[in-house]
Amino acid sequence: MTGRQKAIGFFITLCVLLVGAAILGWIYWIVITEKLTIVQLVVGILLFALIIAGLIVYTVFLVVEIKRNEEHDTFINSVTHELKTPLASIRLYLDTLKTRPVGDAQRQEFYDVMLADVERLRHTVDQVLKAGVAREKRRPVFRTPLEMGELARECVDLAVMRHHLQPGAIALEAHDGASLTVSGDAEELRTVITNLLDNAVKYSGSDVRVTVSLAAPSPDTIWVRVQDRGVGIPRKQLKRIFKRFYRVQARGIRQVKGTGLGLYIVRTIARAHGGRVFAQSEGEGRGATFTVELPRATS
Amino acid sequence: MSRVLVVDDEQHIAEGVRFNLQADGHDVVVAETGEQALDLLLRDRSPFDVVVLDVMLPGKDGFAVASELRTAGQYVPILMLTARGRPEDVLRGFESGADDYLPKPFELGILLARVGGLLRRRRWNEQDASTAADTNDTYTFAGRTLDFSAMEIRARGQAHRLTQMECELLRYLVSRPGQAISRRTLLEEVWGLHESTDTRAIDNFVVRLRKYLEDRPASPQYLLTVRGVGYKFQPESEKPS
Repeated sequence: MTGRQKAIGFFITLCVLLVGAAILGWIYWIVITEKLTIVQLVVGILLFALIIAGLIVYTVFLVVEIKRNEEHDTFINSVTHELKTPLASIRLYLDTLKTRPVGDAQRQEFYDVMLADVERLRHTVDQVLKAGVAREKRRPVFRTPLEMGELARECVDLAVMRHHLQPGAIALEAHDGASLTVSGDAEELRTVITNLLDNAVKYSGSDVRVTVSLAAPSPDTIWVRVQDRGVGIPRKQLKRIFKRFYRVQARGIRQVKGTGLGLYIVRTIARAHGGRVFAQSEGEGRGATFTVELPRATS
Repeated sequence: MSRVLVVDDEQHIAEGVRFNLQADGHDVVVAETGEQALDLLLRDRSPFDVVVLDVMLPGKDGFAVASELRTAGQYVPILMLTARGRPEDVLRGFESGADDYLPKPFELGILLARVGGLLRRRRWNEQDASTAADTNDTYTFAGRTLDFSAMEIRARGQAHRLTQMECELLRYLVSRPGQAISRRTLLEEVWGLHESTDTRAIDNFVVRLRKYLEDRPASPQYLLTVRGVGYKFQPESEKPS
């Protein structure tokens, strides 16, 4: 049991005890007070009810705050790890290049490793900044008409290249009807698809088979779906995964590294565009499907 | 040639460390998970001279791996590497049985020096053990025997194996009886740490040594705390009872 769980247990117990004491005091007050008028009784009951409600609200807020604190700690830990690991690697390779004779082929390999690490650092910094921006309320969305098929194609190509995948590892199923146009911010919607693709690849392990499909479930909405055959998501966590800092917790799921920001960013962007995002999974080990629903641009 | 086991799931770091250790003439094996490392060390009984162990591993983390090794009686020297450099983390590392601790990002030179240090100490101990037949490296006081070559304490009818650093620390204190020695000096002299590591890290080692040596570890008679300074070794009980 961690210190925080103990604290939560302590405060809940304290709350129950105090509520119990308040009720006992109330009963005692009724018993010792002779000749209670109706008004006195009603006022008395209201006062005690108020005290008890106050206690409960106080405890609930405290527990919520402790939990938020814990999430924040997890976030700091994972961001520390995500920042320090590539930094350590870059430093290690620079030190090596500086102090040892290294052959040409090896030298090229080391440069590639360092570039990959710089990319990882950039990605983490980006996610943290984007999550910060996403939190700003009433943030303007710079809207332009966007063809989602094209946008998805770009993101798929980029993901295949960035994750060094086989050309067919991510399949794009285009919509064969009319073009699906959305009015939105290209950069932000690219982030949405890229984050979903990154997750799909990350949680697939060595066998990456991802499908991206576009559809129009109704005349005025479009769906972008990213489906993987990876580790899946326990049913109870399907909603929580979009919360800030939340990471899937399940036995058997290899601890995948990340900041817990990716899906939070996806959700805030989808909402800012007047859409939504939801996840489906048959359970652990059976893959997951993420669907982004956006309003179709009327042209 | 020494055999080094590098346990890190971050391929880039594992490969970089492997390249450098190999360039220094060591034989290097890389394990990606804690389970894999435990398999190599405990089940296969592969002989390694030192383990470079990352803390944040998928599945079993480095702390769990270190303490499982120690519980199973595997006393190979462990250098812990981790992105978490807070004092609590350093402490937890030593507590779980690590001999040395290095936060990421590290300097290559320091990493190699630390690995070299652990290997050197191990060699000294082995040499001590091989010559132990004629020159017995033991110290006896108050019915307790400290056997530095076998890395073991025999007290109250029981024998306790010591890790490398427990052994070094005890040897340092015992060779200066009655002398108060500061935590910082111990960190510098015994561990060779010159950075601003939290000096409380020593305390866990002393707590463990007291468990082996003292009748009542809570009120020690031999390994004494010198308030505001550090520790001292008192071969004879100060308060004869």
